[in-house]
Amino acid sequence: MVDVSQHDLVPEHTVVSESEIDDVLAEYDIDRTDLPKIKRTDAALPDDAEVGDVVEVVRDSRTTDRAVVYRLVIE
Amino acid sequence: MSQGQAPKRIGSLSFGLMDPEEYREMSATKVITADTYDDDGFPIDMGLMDPRLGVIDPGLECKTCGKHSGSCNGHFGHIELAAPVIHVGFAKLIRRLLRGTCRECSRLCLTEDERAEFRDRLDTTRSLGEDLGDVTKAAIRKARKASQCPYCGEKQYDIQHEKPTTYYEVQEVLAAEYSETIAAAMEGRPVEGEDEDVEREPMAPTDLAEETGIDLSRINEILSGEFRPTKSDRQALEAALDVDLTEEDMNKLMPSDIRDWFEDIPDEDIEVLGVDSQKSRPEWIILTVLPVPPVTARPSITLDNGQRSEDDLTHKLVDIIRINQRFMENREAGAPQLIIEDLWELLQYHVTTFMDNEISGTPPARHRSGRPLKTLSQRLKGKEGRFRGSLSGKRVNFSARTVISPDPTLSLNEVGVPNRVASEMTQTMNVNERNLDDARRYVANGPEHHPGANYVRRPDGRRLKVTEKNCEELAEKVDPGWEVSRHLIDGDVVIFNRQPSLHRMSIMAHEVVVMPYKTFRLNTVVCPPYNADFDGDEMNMHALQNEEARAEARVLMRVQEQILSPRFGENIIGAIQDHISGMYLLTHENPRFNETQALDLLRATSIDELPPADGEVSETPQADGEAVDGEEDGTKYWTGRTVFSELLPDDLDLEFEGTVGEPVVIEDGQLVEGTIAEDEVGEFGGEIVDTITKVYGNTRSREFINEVATLAMRSIMHFGFSVGIDDESVDDAAEVQIQEAIDSAYERVQKLIKTYETGELESLPGRTVDETLEMKIMQTLGRARDSAGDIADDNLTEDNPAVVMARSGARGSMLNLTQMSACVGQQAVRGERINRGYEDRTLSHYKKDDLSADAHGFVESSYRQGLDPQEFFFHAMGGREGLVDTAVRTSKSGYLQRRLINALSELETQYDGTVRDTSDTIVQFEFGEDGTSTTQVAHDAESPMDVEEIADRVIDAEFADEAERESFLRGETGETNLSEHGDTWRSPGSAPEVESDD
Repeated sequence: MVDVSQHDLVPEHTVVSESEIDDVLAEYDIDRTDLPKIKRTDAALPDDAEVGDVVEVVRDSRTTDRAVVYRLVIE
Repeated sequence: MSQGQAPKRIGSLSFGLMDPEEYREMSATKVITADTYDDDGFPIDMGLMDPRLGVIDPGLECKTCGKHSGSCNGHFGHIELAAPVIHVGFAKLIRRLLRGTCRECSRLCLTEDERAEFRDRLDTTRSLGEDLGDVTKAAIRKARKASQCPYCGEKQYDIQHEKPTTYYEVQEVLAAEYSETIAAAMEGRPVEGEDEDVEREPMAPTDLAEETGIDLSRINEILSGEFRPTKSDRQALEAALDVDLTEEDMNKLMPSDIRDWFEDIPDEDIEVLGVDSQKSRPEWIILTVLPVPPVTARPSITLDNGQRSEDDLTHKLVDIIRINQRFMENREAGAPQLIIEDLWELLQYHVTTFMDNEISGTPPARHRSGRPLKTLSQRLKGKEGRFRGSLSGKRVNFSARTVISPDPTLSLNEVGVPNRVASEMTQTMNVNERNLDDARRYVANGPEHHPGANYVRRPDGRRLKVTEKNCEELAEKVDPGWEVSRHLIDGDVVIFNRQPSLHRMSIMAHEVVVMPYKTFRLNTVVCPPYNADFDGDEMNMHALQNEEARAEARVLMRVQEQILSPRFGENIIGAIQDHISGMYLLTHENPRFNETQALDLLRATSIDELPPADGEVSETPQADGEAVDGEEDGTKYWTGRTVFSELLPDDLDLEFEGTVGEPVVIEDGQLVEGTIAEDEVGEFGGEIVDTITKVYGNTRSREFINEVATLAMRSIMHFGFSVGIDDESVDDAAEVQIQEAIDSAYERVQKLIKTYETGELESLPGRTVDETLEMKIMQTLGRARDSAGDIADDNLTEDNPAVVMARSGARGSMLNLTQMSACVGQQAVRGERINRGYEDRTLSHYKKDDLSADAHGFVESSYRQGLDPQEFFFHAMGGREGLVDTAVRTSKSGYLQRRLINALSELETQYDGTVRDTSDTIVQFEFGEDGTSTTQVAHDAESPMDVEEIADRVIDAEFADEAERESFLRGETGETNLSEHGDTWRSPGSAPEVESDD
C-alpha cells in the first residue's frame, strides 16, 4: 500500500499539543469546533491522531514560504 | 427614517411552532362568516374583510390600532376550526413522530442509553454546526425498529403515510375466515394461500386443547365460528398449528387522534429528536385554530366597472369558512359518520391548499377561470417569490437602461449618457452659500433644459416640482438649506452594469458625459470586463444618491481601479481588435513618418511635442522608406516605435518575448526593439499594460490605455485597413499545390482502406482495427489540411490584413485563414468523422460502407471556393454540434456559478486576516493562505516573488539620500516632534509594562 503521507504533494500533518491548541484558539478567539475539520479516516493524518485532536498542516507557499492551517479531527 | 423614527435593530429571531392559544390572543377578531362586503359595499363584521383586520381603503381608520391605510400594518384574525386538521408543511415530521413514539404511552421508543447516545450526538453535531437532520433521522430509524415500547410494553405497529396528509396504522387483526383456517390446519390440509405441498401433522381437538391450554368446548366454539378467539388464544393457536390467523388492517388515524397522541409526548423525549420543547409542542402541528392573514396581505382590488376582485388568499379563506360551517352544522345535526369524514377531508384539503397549492398528489385549487390559486407557499417560493423576487432583487429608482454603442473619444472611465436620461435622473444638491449660484441656475433652467432641476425641497421639508412655468420664480427663492434635485452633469459618478453580472467588473463606476442621441456610449476598451459588444446589447445605469456612495464608487469602483482582474492578477482592460492591428502596423516594420504624419498620429493624445527626430532621409532614399511621402533631402523622420514610446512612462524598463515571437525591449521608456501587439498591450494580461498598472498605478495605466487606443486608431486610419474576399485568394500555382496535397492525402486514405479491407491493418494498442483505421484516416486528413494551410500561408503576404490580424492577435487565427483560403477540413460530430445518417452510409449520394474521406465529411473546398452540397450538409452537422454545445455549456455553467456564489457569498475576510463564515467558523486562517491580493502581487511558477528587489525599491523611494537610508537601516531613532510627551513615553524606565494575562 502506498503511504500517502509520504507523498510530495501531501503537506505535513502533525498533532498539536493541548497547550498549543489553547494558544491557537486564543489567538483567533474561537472554540475548537470553529476550526476547519478533517475526517479521522483521512489518509494524510498521522496514525496517532484521534477524534477531537487538532492537527497542524504546514504547506509550502510561493508567497509566504509556509502556510500554516489548523484542523479539528472529526469522526 | 423619513418620519424621523430611529431605525430599529433586530435582536434575534426564533423559529418554532405557535401555540393555538397564542393565535387566539393575537387575533383581532374571530372570523365566522364567509361573506366579505354587504350590499352597500361595507365590510361585514367578523367577516373576512372585517375592519379590525386592518385597512386598505385610503381615508378609513383601522378599528384595532386607529391608524390609516399605509401606516397600519394590519392585524391577524382567526378561524376556529370545527375539527383539527394537519398542517401540510409538517407532514414529514408528523410521520416521524408517529413512527418513533409509542401508540399507547406516547414515549419515544428508545432506551435510556440510546437516548443518551442520541442526545450526545445532537450536541456534537450542533457544536460542529452540521445538519441535525441526520441524527434525528437515525434516532427515528432506531425507535421505529422497536416492536414493543420499552416503557409500557405495548406492541408497536407500522405507520403508513399516504401523501399528503393521511396516516394509517397497519394493525394485525383476526382474519375473517379464521375458523376455516384452523379447521384446515387441524386436518393437515394446506391452508388457503399456502402452497399445495405444505404438510402438517393432523391434530385432534383434544390435542389442540392440551397444547394451547384452551378449553375443548371453547375450541369447538371457535371452530364453529361462534366464538372469536382472544389475542392470547390466537397466539397460542398460531404457535400450535403453525398458521397465520391474522390479516393486515389499515386503521386510519384522524387528526384528532394524532393530536391526542402527540399531547402525551413528554418534553424530554422530543428534545432527543432535536425539537425545542420550550418553543414547540408537537400537538401544535395539528391545527385547531387557523390564523387569518390581515387584509393588507390580501388586498382586494376594485376593477374599472366597480366590481371588487378578491385576492387568491381571500378566496381560499372563503372556502375554508364555508366548509367549516357546514361541518359544524352537520355534526350538530348528527349526520352519519361517513358524511362527517367526507367534510373533514374537504376541510383538510382546503387548509392544505391554503398553505401550499403545489402539493403532489393533490389537485391544485383553481380560480373560476381555471388558473391555479397563488396561496401562501407560492408567494414565497421560486424566482418570482418573496425571497428571490422581492427581497434579494427589487426594482429601483434612479436607474436607466438603454442600448450601448461605442465612442473611442471617451476615456475608459467615462460613459456617454443621453441627455434625455441625464434630465430624468437627478442628484441631490444641498444648497449652501458656495453653491447657491449654481443651484439657482439649475432651477432657473427648469426641468427641460439640460443642466436643470426637477424638484426642490424647502427647509420645512416640503417638496416642490420645478416646472417650465415656475422655474424662474422658484430659482429666486432657492436659499442655503434648500435641496435641489439637479440633472446629471458631466463628471457625476454613476454605476454602470451589464447582465449577467458574473464578476465584480460587471458593475463599475463611470463618470458621466452628457451627450445627444439615445444610447449609452462607452470606450471600446471596457468591452472585455462587461463582455459587451454593440450588436444590440443593453446596459443599466444607476445614479448614486448620497455622498458616501459617490465617494465609495469613485474610490473603489471606478473603471481604472478595476484594470487588474482579481481572477488572474493581470489586466483585464487593454487594447482590443483594431487597436491591436493598429499598434502592429505602427511598430512591426517600424515605418517612418514625417513631422505632419507623426503629429497627426499623436493628435488625440496628451503629447503635443515631438521628440528629437530619429534621423533625416538621406539623398538616396532607402528602399524601406516607402512609408514616407514626398521624401526630400534633409526631411526629418520619426519611426513608429518612437511615436509609440511617447506614450510610455519615461523610466520604464522591460524585456520579454513578444506576440510575434521576437523579443520586445523597452529601455528608459523607449521601445528599442519589438512589435507591439496583443501580448504587449492587449486585454487579459498585456505585459506593458500590466507592468504600468502595477508599477505606476491605475491612473497612469488609464492614461496609457486611453492613449494606446487613440494612437492605434490614428495609426490604423493612417495605413488604411480592410479585408475582402480577394484577400484570401491564393495564386493558381498555390491552388494546384493545395490540390496536390489533398489528392495525395486521398490516395493515402484509399491505401489505408485497402489494407483494412484485406485485413492487413494492424491495430494500435488498446484499439480495435476499426478504431485504428478511423484514427489513421483522421490523422492523414488533418495533416492534409495543415499542409494545405501551410501552402496558403506561404502564399499570403505579411501585409495581408487577415494575416496581420491573426499574427498580431487582434482577431482570427491561422486556422481560420487556412479554412478560408485553402481547405475547410474534416467535419466532426462527437470527435469522430461523420458516421450517422442512412443505413451504412452518411448520405444517399454514396455507396454503402464507403469509408472514403468525402463520404464521411471531409470538406476539400475552402470557404472562398465555396462548398458543394454534400460538404455543406456535413459542415452544417458539425456546426450544429458547436451551437448545441455552447447553449448547453452556458446554462450548465450558469447554474454551477449560482450554486458556487450562494455557497461562498457569506464568507468574509475579518480584520484579523482570517476568512470566516457568518457563524465565525474559520475557513482560511489567512486570506488565500498568504494574505495577499492577487492584483497587488505579481508572481507565477517561473518568476517567484522577488522580495529583495521590492524591498530595495521601497527603500529607495522612501529615502532622499544614502545617509538617511543608512541611518534608518542601522536602526537609529532620532528625536521626533510627534508628541509633547514623546520623551517620557519613549524612555524605557517610565513605560508601564503591559500586563500579560497568561
